[in-house]
Amino acid sequence: MSSLRQRFPSAWRLVATLLLLVLAVALSFVLSPLDDSKLAGGAAISIVILGLSWLIGWSGQVSLGNAGFMAIGAYVTAIWANHHATSPIVWSLVLSTVIGGLSGLVLALPATRLRGPYLAGMTLAFSFAVTPLALNWRGFTGGSGGLFINFLSTPAWFGGLFSGPDALIRANAQWPADVTLVVAAVAFYFMANLFHSRVGRAMRLVRDNEVAAELSGVNLQRARTLAFVISAAYAGLGGSVMTLLSGSVTPQTYGLTLSILLLTLMVLGGIGTLSGAILGGLIYSYSDNLVSLVNKVSGINPTSTLGANLKGIVFGVLLILTMMLAPRGLVGAGAWLRRAARR
Amino acid sequence: MIRVAGLSVTYGAVRALRDVSFEAPTGQITTVIGANGAGKTTLLRSISGLARAEGSIRLDERELLGMATEDVARLGVAHVPEGRGVIAELTVEENLRLGTLASKVPLAESLASQYAQFPALERRRRNYAATLSGGERQMLAMARALIARPSVLLLDEPSLGLAPQVTAETMRTIAQLCASESLTVILVEQNAKSALRIAHDAVVLHLGQVAAAGPSREIAADPELRRYYLGVAS
Repeated sequence: MSSLRQRFPSAWRLVATLLLLVLAVALSFVLSPLDDSKLAGGAAISIVILGLSWLIGWSGQVSLGNAGFMAIGAYVTAIWANHHATSPIVWSLVLSTVIGGLSGLVLALPATRLRGPYLAGMTLAFSFAVTPLALNWRGFTGGSGGLFINFLSTPAWFGGLFSGPDALIRANAQWPADVTLVVAAVAFYFMANLFHSRVGRAMRLVRDNEVAAELSGVNLQRARTLAFVISAAYAGLGGSVMTLLSGSVTPQTYGLTLSILLLTLMVLGGIGTLSGAILGGLIYSYSDNLVSLVNKVSGINPTSTLGANLKGIVFGVLLILTMMLAPRGLVGAGAWLRRAARR
Repeated sequence: MIRVAGLSVTYGAVRALRDVSFEAPTGQITTVIGANGAGKTTLLRSISGLARAEGSIRLDERELLGMATEDVARLGVAHVPEGRGVIAELTVEENLRLGTLASKVPLAESLASQYAQFPALERRRRNYAATLSGGERQMLAMARALIARPSVLLLDEPSLGLAPQVTAETMRTIAQLCASESLTVILVEQNAKSALRIAHDAVVLHLGQVAAAGPSREIAADPELRRYYLGVAS
């Protein structure tokens, strides 16, 4: 088995991705419509987390601005859908990914010359700028009201798979979830190959030892820029999927808070890993359930000021606990537990 | 062949190298020896493009000075820096794979050739570099440099932190590699005795200037140089 894996790594990853996709789609048939929509949201966010994880975990650069790239992808999809209502959604996805990547290139040119807090500061400024820009550029963005598009229409053949009184509700909830899962699978497969490619190895060397990277023939500036572009493209794709799922885009959605949430989810799941990004997406999906549980256990009134801010507090506590107890995230903790069990 | 002519390097007000000139012929080891702060490491860094310099460094007929480090590496100049540059968190094989970034040779073929050269590394290919001994790390650093099939190998203090027996083994390996791969080797060493034993030519640096240069046998026999650099009373 392992020799097959070594001899045909790309085919192996394809089979693994397809198996996971089939499992996830099968799960979507079992889940309730509410859980299907949570699954879809988690899958969309996991694409963005994966892009961020690539940037931070593999190239060693920090970004507090990926929600801004998400906004660009989200608006591109909404604008495109409003002008080309009948075009296949794949065009929206591709266009948002490409324009997300190009906007990443524009930011990368100055950003990749900076390090540590200076780089974080620059991406932070970008994140701050996105919401006011979207609010004021009304002709394109619809201002504070945002833009609305039609929800993904469920094809007849898919609707035919369901029967019973709630067939339509189930089909309409599940179709977007399954489409999102397919998009996420493509994104994860591409990234899995990138991790193990020459580019991935170069990126790791740039992160760990710049001098060794240069001596191995790696152009540092080009490598860092490429990492930024790919990360922004993933954020653009994630933003596009979010717009398709919610049927709208508003400037307030993609502010600094979301950028920080993405970072938190990435750390909770595990930096620089595929499974960490999936876990981050799942945590995002079920964070409301977790907050409800904390509400119930602590007796905090959800309508009080404390209750309204409980989500931020819960995430903050989780982040601190993860940093202290499992610095490599839940993925790292899982690996540690497996090793401990073997001993 | 590497031809260095009129090379000068300044770090702010400090002149690290002054008008250094020498030749390192193909298929031979040229060792650069000297006291701490003589400019040995700066010399290697200038050749690989890591330090800004004035003068001329030619690889055969190509001028290297002014080229970016990655372009110098792609021309076939491999540099094993002081401290070896091995990534401790990666396995031996992952470290070797990093060396193929600038190479057009298929990965499997490159790995096989290095494992044939350094069988100890093949045995430990799945081990993390952090678990290797100093000698093994040096082997890994050299294998990673050689995997891209360079024509020039720059080695900075390969014996640093190694036991005398391991140092002798490392030096033997360098001599073998130079002969079998027809490499141009520039070997910077504090351990002048060991370096002079395997080198064809030697350059003695003193405060950034060439104090002496010539066949290593003659340098090793010079009573004054023996006293200053080899610690031998004449």
